[in-house]
Amino acid sequence: MEVRDKILVVEDDAGICNVMVAVLSTNRYEVLTAASGRQADTLVRSHCPDLVLLDLGLPDLDGLELIRRVRGWSGMPIVVVSARSQEADKVAALDAGADDYIVKPFGAEELLARIRTALRHARSAGVSAEIARTGRLRVGGLEIDYDKRQVAVDGQPVHLTPNEYKILALLGKNTGRVLTYDAIIQELWGPGTQSDNQILRVNMANIRRKIEKNPAEPQYVFTEAGVGYRMAEEK
Amino acid sequence: MHLRWPFRRQVKEWFSVSLRDTLVLLAIMLAAAAFCALSRQVFDSSDSWASMVFVLAVLFTAINTSGYLYGVLAALIGVVGVNYVFTYPYFAFNFTMQGYAFTFAGMLAVSIATSVLATRLKRQEYLRAETEKEKMRANLLRAVSHDLRTPLTNIAGASGVLLEGGDRLSGAQQRELLRGVNQDAKWLIRVVENLLSITRIGAGEAAGLHKEPQPAEEIISEAVQKFRKNFAGMPVRVEVPRLLLMVPMDALLIEQVLLNLMENAVYHAKNATYIQIQALREGQRAVFLVRDNGEGVPAELLGALFSGSIPAEKRATSDGRRNMGIGLSVCSTIVEAHGGRMTARNLPGGGAEFAFSLPLEEKEEPDGSEG
Repeated sequence: MEVRDKILVVEDDAGICNVMVAVLSTNRYEVLTAASGRQADTLVRSHCPDLVLLDLGLPDLDGLELIRRVRGWSGMPIVVVSARSQEADKVAALDAGADDYIVKPFGAEELLARIRTALRHARSAGVSAEIARTGRLRVGGLEIDYDKRQVAVDGQPVHLTPNEYKILALLGKNTGRVLTYDAIIQELWGPGTQSDNQILRVNMANIRRKIEKNPAEPQYVFTEAGVGYRMAEEK
Repeated sequence: MHLRWPFRRQVKEWFSVSLRDTLVLLAIMLAAAAFCALSRQVFDSSDSWASMVFVLAVLFTAINTSGYLYGVLAALIGVVGVNYVFTYPYFAFNFTMQGYAFTFAGMLAVSIATSVLATRLKRQEYLRAETEKEKMRANLLRAVSHDLRTPLTNIAGASGVLLEGGDRLSGAQQRELLRGVNQDAKWLIRVVENLLSITRIGAGEAAGLHKEPQPAEEIISEAVQKFRKNFAGMPVRVEVPRLLLMVPMDALLIEQVLLNLMENAVYHAKNATYIQIQALREGQRAVFLVRDNGEGVPAELLGALFSGSIPAEKRATSDGRRNMGIGLSVCSTIVEAHGGRMTARNLPGGGAEFAFSLPLEEKEEPDGSEG
């Protein structure tokens, strides 16, 4: 018998809930549903699902609060699905511990892709399995060698400053995931650093000029405006 | 925002106190006193000036301050001051002077009359701006309702047919109906995104804008990414300057502008086979260009594109319902809220070009001459 991944859908709107259940179950996931925060809290504890799809606007509990509760004891992937599209909401959810954020309305393909990414990351415990095994990461023509701290594009070595390398290396360890500006800054310059993201933005512009063919049509590092950066999935 | 002022509020407005107005009052009064003192030095005891000068001072005070309070204060200061300083006996009060009551009453009347007029004028201006805003909002609402009604009718109709007699239709017919529902829903998403953008700007003030320096290339690339999700078939070429171009803007809103312009090219530029986006720096402005190689915009529409005031009959397009009313007026509203300007023209070789410029400095820039 095959073991299916179990997904908990936390959504108070019955219509959207039905659609998500239909999409997920036809894609071979086992689906649980919860219409309120409390119910979700109970289900998370009793069933320990492989992934939680969470709507932030719940009738009884703020979605962010639920994320914090779950994060108190578990690292299970949480993908937030929300109608709030402001940058601040995304950042708040990601910083509270969510793994990803999808804004309503979204397409089924996008939802499934994000779920696959989140599940894969949970499996490889944050660091890509490939990096752990070979010490390097390949995304299309981009290769990051973590042992030698070198970056190459299409076989040609690229000269990055130490900070530029650190940013790229960090994004490489989290391919497919959005890292908020703050998260990157904390990681690079330590906690408590003034969260002015201008330096980061300029660094990224320079990185793009070194690794991308056209910095305005990036293949490797994508921007989530006002939120952060995401490296393309390995291909 | 409030078309009718409640009475208590109005009384408060009449007698509102502010530092600025106090300074205005003091400055004007001092200037008047100084002028009188000077004229007495020069023309020697021609104190008949004094009353005139102070009447003028009262007038200016009333015009340049809000409410009645300062005008009336100016009148009092004027009456007392003229009596005390500039009429015989100097530096003493003399209330027995002939006609004093008239002078006093006259100055008070002037001040109150001016204050009333000035306040009314300001109020009228406020009302006119308000009506203008209201008109814009009504235009937008009309455009939106029109944009909403057609797809909603389709969705309700098609889904109704599928529910009632779906099994009598062939598979292909069912799919066709469903595709229509899907397309219309996506269209509605577009409209709603635009509406949300407008609410972010709020009542037209820049207060709702979340301006931060953003690299132009990041904003363009994100907009293009979003665009490709829905319109994979239309190639987009992007060109940005070698030098990093940081532009103060509300990222989400400018993304929306770019997205609207690209989508317009798909819906309205007949026979367009590609879209080209370019960002460049022109003096103290960043210029964004969105071009297509379609048939261009009909000449008679070019002038009225951004006002949302194109009559419904004229803006009907090939498929009779997708109009560009809301998209473009949203674009220009957003750009103008940023202190920028939006233009459209047809390219000599065919195709249309929509351009908007954003100031690179945070502060207000005089309009760039190279445009």
